[in-house]
Amino acid sequence: MTQFAVRSEFSNDINQDFSAIKNKEKEMKNGFKTALAVVAVLGTLISAGCGSASAAGTATKNAGPQTVTFWHSMSGTNGQVLDKLIAKFNKTNKDKITVKALYQGAYDDAITKYKSAVQSKSTPTLMQVYDVGSRFMMDSGTVTPMQNFIDADNYDVSDLQPNVAGYYKVDGKLYSMPFNSSMPVIYYNKTMFRQAGLDPDKAPTTLAEVKADAEKLSQKNGGPAQYGFNAAVYGWFVEQEIAANGQLYCSPQNGRGSKRADDFTFNNSSATTFLTWWKGMIDSGISGNTGTDTDDADSAFESGKVGITFESTAGLSGIMAAAKTKGFEVGVGNYPKIKKNNSGPIIGGASLWISKLGHSSAQQEAAWKFIKFLSEPENQATWHTGTGYFPTSKKALNTETDKAWRKQYPQFDVAVKQLESTKLTAATQGCSAGVMPQARKAVEDGIEKVFAGADAKTALTSEVKGLQSDVQDYNSSVE
Amino acid sequence: MSTSAPQSAGQNSSIRSQQIPVEKPEPPHRSQTQRRSQRTPITQYWYFLPASIVFCIFVAYPLFQTLRLSLSGTDLFGSADTFVGVRNFVRLFTNPDFVKILINTALFALYTVVPTIAISLVISLMLNRESLVNRVFRTVFALPFAYSVSAASIVFSAFFNPATGLFNEVIKQFGGSGVGWLTDQRFALLSIALTTVWMNIGYNILVLLAGLGSVPEDIVEAARLDGASGLRLQHYIMIPLIRPQLFFLIVTGTIQSLESFGQIHVLTKGGPASSSTTLVYDIYLHGFANNNSNFGYASAEALVLILVVAIITIIQFGGMGRKVDVA
Repeated sequence: MTQFAVRSEFSNDINQDFSAIKNKEKEMKNGFKTALAVVAVLGTLISAGCGSASAAGTATKNAGPQTVTFWHSMSGTNGQVLDKLIAKFNKTNKDKITVKALYQGAYDDAITKYKSAVQSKSTPTLMQVYDVGSRFMMDSGTVTPMQNFIDADNYDVSDLQPNVAGYYKVDGKLYSMPFNSSMPVIYYNKTMFRQAGLDPDKAPTTLAEVKADAEKLSQKNGGPAQYGFNAAVYGWFVEQEIAANGQLYCSPQNGRGSKRADDFTFNNSSATTFLTWWKGMIDSGISGNTGTDTDDADSAFESGKVGITFESTAGLSGIMAAAKTKGFEVGVGNYPKIKKNNSGPIIGGASLWISKLGHSSAQQEAAWKFIKFLSEPENQATWHTGTGYFPTSKKALNTETDKAWRKQYPQFDVAVKQLESTKLTAATQGCSAGVMPQARKAVEDGIEKVFAGADAKTALTSEVKGLQSDVQDYNSSVE
Repeated sequence: MSTSAPQSAGQNSSIRSQQIPVEKPEPPHRSQTQRRSQRTPITQYWYFLPASIVFCIFVAYPLFQTLRLSLSGTDLFGSADTFVGVRNFVRLFTNPDFVKILINTALFALYTVVPTIAISLVISLMLNRESLVNRVFRTVFALPFAYSVSAASIVFSAFFNPATGLFNEVIKQFGGSGVGWLTDQRFALLSIALTTVWMNIGYNILVLLAGLGSVPEDIVEAARLDGASGLRLQHYIMIPLIRPQLFFLIVTGTIQSLESFGQIHVLTKGGPASSSTTLVYDIYLHGFANNNSNFGYASAEALVLILVVAIITIIQFGGMGRKVDVA
């Protein structure tokens, strides 16, 4: 079927196994936290039943030193860079503001925990939420819109990347502050490109070109890679392919207009073409299938078994470091489209939300101050160069740190150019819907059904239908 | 537990109040009979109280809540805010995936319980004879019992890795082309079952060996004198005598398999395309994953699960329990 034949030394495999174990440990922790959330919910139910649920919030009304609790989902290298920035902030605001950061597991787990925190009135002051959770946060009624702080403070937003801010704006109002923004790019193994007689400085730009290159790279056709191509089964890639070809993911108008999104349209031609292409690659043995775990897809590319992969720009630092130890060169290119056009992929990543639930205005102000600090060009440059996330500040790109970095690693430049050349439209703003997380999962189920032999149009249409009751429930519960 | 405090205080005071008439000047014999006839029936009910409170908090109340939730729609945060009648059940039973999930659940129980019992029975019978080697192997085979579900699943997920895993490496050594253990819909559930069997064997061997150890020596001796040996001895003497242990393992193993969560979560998250989603995992998906807070639907599923477990256990007790001296 769709597996990797392993040719490398056994010792390498053991290293791989260990890295896989580490990744799984991360997941295990997430699972454990979910379990905790379950226990918390049960506890809430029981105490509510006994009539002893404490309704007291955690608000402190004094305007003295403030503690800002901050829940985030940054682990590994990215978490370390964030901790460094927080330490810097705490040092300069000694005796005034302390930011207490807490890693709450992957985005999905973190938002689940936020929900139970809403019920027990113990939300953090500052919450990092993934792109697709934005609509939910707006509707939750538990946050103070970022625009309020911007207006009250006369904060200059002209430095914000308009394409990044576009995702988090509804009706011209910024609800949250973009923090870690990323885009999908194509990663390719330059060393293998050379071995296969391909131009290592020319990344494939369309799906057809990816296929042509993958054919030459694949071991099946005498190439250097076990599989020419491999990508994780990740619904995000379908969202991106639809936007990159200028189509909409949900209707009307991707939920960006005055009307709420009430139906999904991810069974359109971009998506079906993309899935049919992907399935064809797997069937002809030039693409692997490492499943839904992004870490597995990363490690397949990092271990030199795969020639081309799709991944977020946020993975750039990790991939470059791994490639260095493995001794190959990494190339980065724009996310491939079906046909050349002037649309582009959507900004992904996450943004920061200030919770008003039981948090005094002084505490919220303190959180706002921390957000301003994170948005400063110099700190955004640290963030960009340390992680691969896109800087939200335009000036960050002009800092000496950033310039020197991009000169040394031109791979970081690709995302910058891809973003700047993308026109901000409803398509490239991405779908804003309360049930986006569920939709992403549904698309992943659709992909797996296609891989198992289902027709792309049929599979995606049945997923769209399956989501209809979820959309209706959601919309009726917030209207 | 806060409710138990005032009630137990009430209990004391009410007993005291009943004792008050005793102190009144009345004919002694009459007061004694009156006291006995009054106190005995009421006092004995008070003894139910601690157990009833525990039962209410840990069994009756959650069950009642599940029932209430299953008839409710939930708001954005998962609070039950509207009564929707049987809508959740209608959605559940009309969901085309639901049948598939029930089949997955049944298959998973089959794939785990049968091989676990068979393998651990064979190993236990082999290890039953007393010797130094057997003592070492008993420890070795019981070791998986010490692994937590997550730890074992993580080790197996490394083995299952299509690109770098041990299992495909071995297959390729013999000229095969490798298997998508967790990424192929045909194998995902089997791979999880394989992990589960490995995890459960240790415990099953411990229980079976304890059972075998308690088989009276004189029965074995008598059977040997009658000429029974080898397989015959095992089949006619040993296995029938450890039936209570086997019955216990089948019942608890089935319930355990129906309620498995950790290994599915670590290995496949129910995928690919729901091919390894069991009822318990689907409850999690609807209640907690992907920003879902559909506790109504999840609770409806939980009630179905309770029903399934109850029915299967009753069938097992009916089928085997009578032959076994358990209750």
